[in-house]
Amino acid sequence: MKRLIGVLVIFAVLFASFGCQAAAKKPKIGVAIYKFDDTFMSYVRNKIETSAKDKIEISVQDSQYDQPKQNDQVDQFLTQGYTSLAINLVDPSAVSVVIGKVQAKKTPIVFFNREPVAVDMAKYDKAYYVGAKAQESGTMEGELVVDYWKNTPAADKNKDGIIQYVMLIGDPSNTDAQYRTEYSIKAIEAAGLKVEKLAEDTAMWDRVKGQEKTAAWLAKFGDKIEVILANNDDMALGAIEACKAAGLTALGGKKPMVIVGVDATPPALDALEQGFLVGTVLNDAERQGLATFDLAFALATGAKEVKSDVAPLANAAGKADPAGKYIWVPYVKVTKENYKSFKK
Amino acid sequence: MGNTDFASSLKKLGPASAKEFASKNAIMLVLAGLVILIGIVQPSFLSIDNLLNILRISSVRAIIAMGVGGILITRGTDLSAGRTVGLAACIAASLTQRPDYVSKMFPDLPLLPFILPVLAAVSAGLVVGLFNGLVVAFLNVPPFITTLGTMVIVYGAASLYVDRPPRGAQPIGGLREDFTNLGTGSVGLPDVFSIPNLIILAAIVTVIIWVMLNKTRLGKNIYAIGGNPEAAAVSGVNVKKNLILVYVIGGFMYGLAGVLLAARSGGATNNYGQMYELDAIAACVIGGVSTSGGIGTVAGMLTGVLIFEVLNNGLVILGVSAYWQQIAKGLIIIAAVAVDIRKYLAKR
Repeated sequence: MKRLIGVLVIFAVLFASFGCQAAAKKPKIGVAIYKFDDTFMSYVRNKIETSAKDKIEISVQDSQYDQPKQNDQVDQFLTQGYTSLAINLVDPSAVSVVIGKVQAKKTPIVFFNREPVAVDMAKYDKAYYVGAKAQESGTMEGELVVDYWKNTPAADKNKDGIIQYVMLIGDPSNTDAQYRTEYSIKAIEAAGLKVEKLAEDTAMWDRVKGQEKTAAWLAKFGDKIEVILANNDDMALGAIEACKAAGLTALGGKKPMVIVGVDATPPALDALEQGFLVGTVLNDAERQGLATFDLAFALATGAKEVKSDVAPLANAAGKADPAGKYIWVPYVKVTKENYKSFKK
Repeated sequence: MGNTDFASSLKKLGPASAKEFASKNAIMLVLAGLVILIGIVQPSFLSIDNLLNILRISSVRAIIAMGVGGILITRGTDLSAGRTVGLAACIAASLTQRPDYVSKMFPDLPLLPFILPVLAAVSAGLVVGLFNGLVVAFLNVPPFITTLGTMVIVYGAASLYVDRPPRGAQPIGGLREDFTNLGTGSVGLPDVFSIPNLIILAAIVTVIIWVMLNKTRLGKNIYAIGGNPEAAAVSGVNVKKNLILVYVIGGFMYGLAGVLLAARSGGATNNYGQMYELDAIAACVIGGVSTSGGIGTVAGMLTGVLIFEVLNNGLVILGVSAYWQQIAKGLIIIAAVAVDIRKYLAKR
């Protein structure tokens, strides 16, 4: 009997505390990142965390590249009464489940960096998206090659007027990787240059794999390779190490190689400074993080009008967004001329 | 010895002995076959530069494989190998950033003597190995579970280590040249004859591990424990002590491999080394190390690693699509073991 009373008391206390929580509805933001070991996302995460400091309570979870796990995390946020969610989807095509959950609780949600299917976004009026136009990163990467190629006749090693290139692809199932692969080449062709693909392969965004694949290509093609395009900087840096091992020099040296990447990570900026990297494209992690936080903060605290200091909700890329649900954070080209302003 | 004896031994050298040779060294023949086959289709595969390149990559992988190999022989396994390599790579890289590199992980870090970062990274490996060994030996947690746990713990630790103020998580780059030289440099006369440092280091480690497994009491104990732990204990082998030692040696090897991986690639992230344990275990198994314990040689482990890296490099050179590379690798793992296992089947 005593035990039963004890259990009842515990339950009563628990219920009471839950009740208090529900009544107060203290504003707090639940954040889930698709995986913590993604370099870019860790910058976004840092920005969200530092922005939230002293302003609002947040909880940041690692979804470990596992959508079911992320769904559980969303459930947990919702039962704990979080007032807005900021979700970096693991699988952007599987967003309908998440939207169903938040819609049932009428909790506003900001998706960021990994863009959900548009049809699902339209189903819920309190669903927003913050991100960059992935195609733009590819286009800018291609333009970096074009600019360098046109200004540097020596880049055309065999003087045939055609760019012989190899492509290091990230995760082939990832849309960013697909866009960068496709649009970088489209941009080069759009500038009136001819290209010839010698090889392409996946290096899973990884520096070591990028190095190993490039080393194999250098053994096979040697000086035939004129340009190395990498879907991200880590792989570009791996390619640089492979080129160094094969006796290639910095740009302007005797045996240079044109290498471009995307992300503008600190090691990539260092490689730019040393003349091993022609250019990289900054996916502005800080501005993405800030825009995500601004939006989630406004939603969590019940602001009537939602807008971000970073980019107006309407649009940033110049295209009208009638629903006012998308924030497009622009990419930035980083070259020898302007890299210093991105060093932190 | 009469003439008839001589004749009969000559007969033995005929087809039957060729068959025996083939079955004993099946795995070496698979490797040779692969090299020749890829070389015929794509001769640039056989260029000195490319072969050296394969050896350089294999050097790091071989060190990991020999670390896991010893553990496999004791009927254990080590799933934490890859992540420990990653942790060591992060530690080594973070302590060897150039003083003028802007985004240093430790902004006020002085120029450390070369050996300190290496020792720090290797020590991290040792600690992980010691932990694995203690848990396996004293808490009797199965090695698969123990190291599954440490795999996750070590990844968490590496992520915590990298994600620190003032800059937060980011790839660690801008490494000092004297450090990266460890992974990219060579000894000898440039343009005439030189051997990459990595290959020399891997060769030294190989000799040490070979001696340890074949010429020391520890080695004999490792095989004895793997063959039959109860019998080993009865015959006076201190099973717990030897188990701990073999995990500690494994940890040391992962630490060293992490240092070399960071040096070779010129950087590190907390994602380094992911799944390397599976490559290493697969390489050992291909090389004839038995997962049920007691059997395995250093030569076999090295051959397994080489088969793996010849495939990795060869398939890229052949221009095989990334998806087919995976399928081809999987099939060859199974095929290689199927061929190799015949020598044990024949004995029965």
